[in-house]
Amino acid sequence: MSTPPANILPLRLTRGHNRIYAIVILCLLLLGIGGVAIAIGSVKIPFGTTFAILFSRLPLVDFTPNWSGGLSTIVLDIRLPRIILAGLVGAALATAGATYQGLFRNPLADPYLIGVAQGASLGAVTGFLLPSGWLGPEMVPLLAFIGALGGTAIVYGLARVGKTLPMTTLILAGVAVGALLGSIVSYLIISSGEKLHGIIFWLMGSFSLSRWSEVQVVLPYVLAGIALLILYARPLNVMQLDEEQAQQLGINVERLKLILLAAATLITAAAVSFVGTIGFVGIIIPHAVRLIWGPDYRFLLPLSVLAGAIFLIAADLMARTIATPEEIPIGVITALCGAPFFLYLLRRKKKVLF
Amino acid sequence: MKNRLIGFAFFLALLLVLGFLWGCSPATQRTTASPMEITDQLGRTVKLDKVPQRIISLAPSNTEVLFALGLADRIVAVTDYCDYPPEAKQKPKIGGFSNPNIESIIALSPDLILAASIHEKGVIPQLEEKELTVFALTPKTMDEIQQAITLVGSITGKEKEAAALVDDMKKRIKAITDKTSGLTALRRPRAMYLVWHDPLMTAGAKTLQDELIAKAGGLNIAQGLTDYAKISLEAVIQADPEVMIAGVGHGSGEDLTFQFLNTESRLKDTAARRNNRVFGVDANQVSRPGPRAVAALEELAKFIHPELFPGAK
Repeated sequence: MSTPPANILPLRLTRGHNRIYAIVILCLLLLGIGGVAIAIGSVKIPFGTTFAILFSRLPLVDFTPNWSGGLSTIVLDIRLPRIILAGLVGAALATAGATYQGLFRNPLADPYLIGVAQGASLGAVTGFLLPSGWLGPEMVPLLAFIGALGGTAIVYGLARVGKTLPMTTLILAGVAVGALLGSIVSYLIISSGEKLHGIIFWLMGSFSLSRWSEVQVVLPYVLAGIALLILYARPLNVMQLDEEQAQQLGINVERLKLILLAAATLITAAAVSFVGTIGFVGIIIPHAVRLIWGPDYRFLLPLSVLAGAIFLIAADLMARTIATPEEIPIGVITALCGAPFFLYLLRRKKKVLF
Repeated sequence: MKNRLIGFAFFLALLLVLGFLWGCSPATQRTTASPMEITDQLGRTVKLDKVPQRIISLAPSNTEVLFALGLADRIVAVTDYCDYPPEAKQKPKIGGFSNPNIESIIALSPDLILAASIHEKGVIPQLEEKELTVFALTPKTMDEIQQAITLVGSITGKEKEAAALVDDMKKRIKAITDKTSGLTALRRPRAMYLVWHDPLMTAGAKTLQDELIAKAGGLNIAQGLTDYAKISLEAVIQADPEVMIAGVGHGSGEDLTFQFLNTESRLKDTAARRNNRVFGVDANQVSRPGPRAVAALEELAKFIHPELFPGAK
């Protein structure tokens, strides 16, 4: 595919080099924040010990362990899976958000626009209220995942007109179905009695009990979904014109919409099912990336992956250290820190978002 | 001028003494039939014209106190959560604990409503507006539980029963603390009471469970926190509790928290798991500030010091 002429697509392709550097820098930043996050926690472990524990698991490295089993559990089985899961969720939400914003050509779009969050919440709350003997401890994430996909499927089904899927109808159906599911969730919450606290905590999002088995479940969905979305970055660029022009440029718009929606919804559903509906990442990270590095989806998507992961790892680090040994729900941190930073970017750049 | 000041001071002192006598007298001198004024555990002064015959309990712990004092036939309604003693479940319900239904309460025309601390801001003012008699019991410690029982005894004319119940509690508590109060920190096993597993919440200082652990001769790993407090899994592993306790049997029904303590793989290296010292205690006994808190204390003592209190399960 040849590069479209600059007068058709509002892309500043000359800045491509900058953005490749940006990818490298964000990768380093991701490693850096990961390193900081693994070394800090409510239990103080010396940096040296932390990394000795970490590297002792690598092949070819031979340390004699001089630390207690408890410390090794803390670093390898509590902090490491937690950081990786936070990174995956951040990446998934940011990428899904960027995709939705492009697909809807609407700056207010976020991953929760068309029923994912409300569906997941309904599933999770149902999971909390059912007797746990049914499916065991995995019931909440499983029902949240099913609810998230179900919510979006309902919206999609309602919005379809013949063989086409008008984006405005999709948004409106999303808002209506979201409100409906949300009201059911509210009702279930007030009648939940003593399970109320667990439910509220889930809704605000938390990585506090993240474990390797969760990483194993989430990882394949998120990696596959993100890879697929990045492969479709170029058609997504073309979609920024309007649908008719994209059609004329040889893109099967309806098929593209279906693929992008399915992939973005799937990674969002996988991301929220274990950790709750963490807000703000999906709307703010893509915008921040767009404000700094421009709207070219070939860079916007990978940069969002990295920035989302960095942001959520940092937010989780704050969530578990600010009020140590208590933990703050991560949704509180993402909104509290994300909003002012975003406003700063918005004022500094003073340019239109799209 | 000076004389005047002295006179004024004397007058003030007299007022204070009179006020003190006036404040004390109803509880000590009244006969059960006469009107009385009595201060509840929120510091409110409550007027009672006669001995209450139609009582509504707005908290499971209050219901337990009423039944323990033999007032079963005077209870006209309880909350949805009042499940002990089993007879309590047969009583009419006025809704939940935090959000009782005001209309159903009024419809039953009670002459005494026993509220709890959770009702201070919303429910109590609402009920007072309807000129209903509300008496608040807000015990948080073993002493305050005994005080609550004494108060209920004196407003319902069951002073003797209340005194006997309090006396029994005191004896049973003393039987435990006689053996545990002298223990040095080194002989006190590190203990944790887990309130909820996701998010992890322990009972910190100023909770009934913290007091029970201390009286039972344990060292609460969460005593640096206050109230029910979230705690990180890594802080628990670091503190390495020797005894882990969770409520079982009620409410959450499926004992999720107890299961968590027994199965969470990352807790497997804690002293409690290695030595099989994870215990379940009746959730309602250990969390309701009522007469049965003593039973919870006896259980905890067996778990924490089996060598002093043999007979643990």
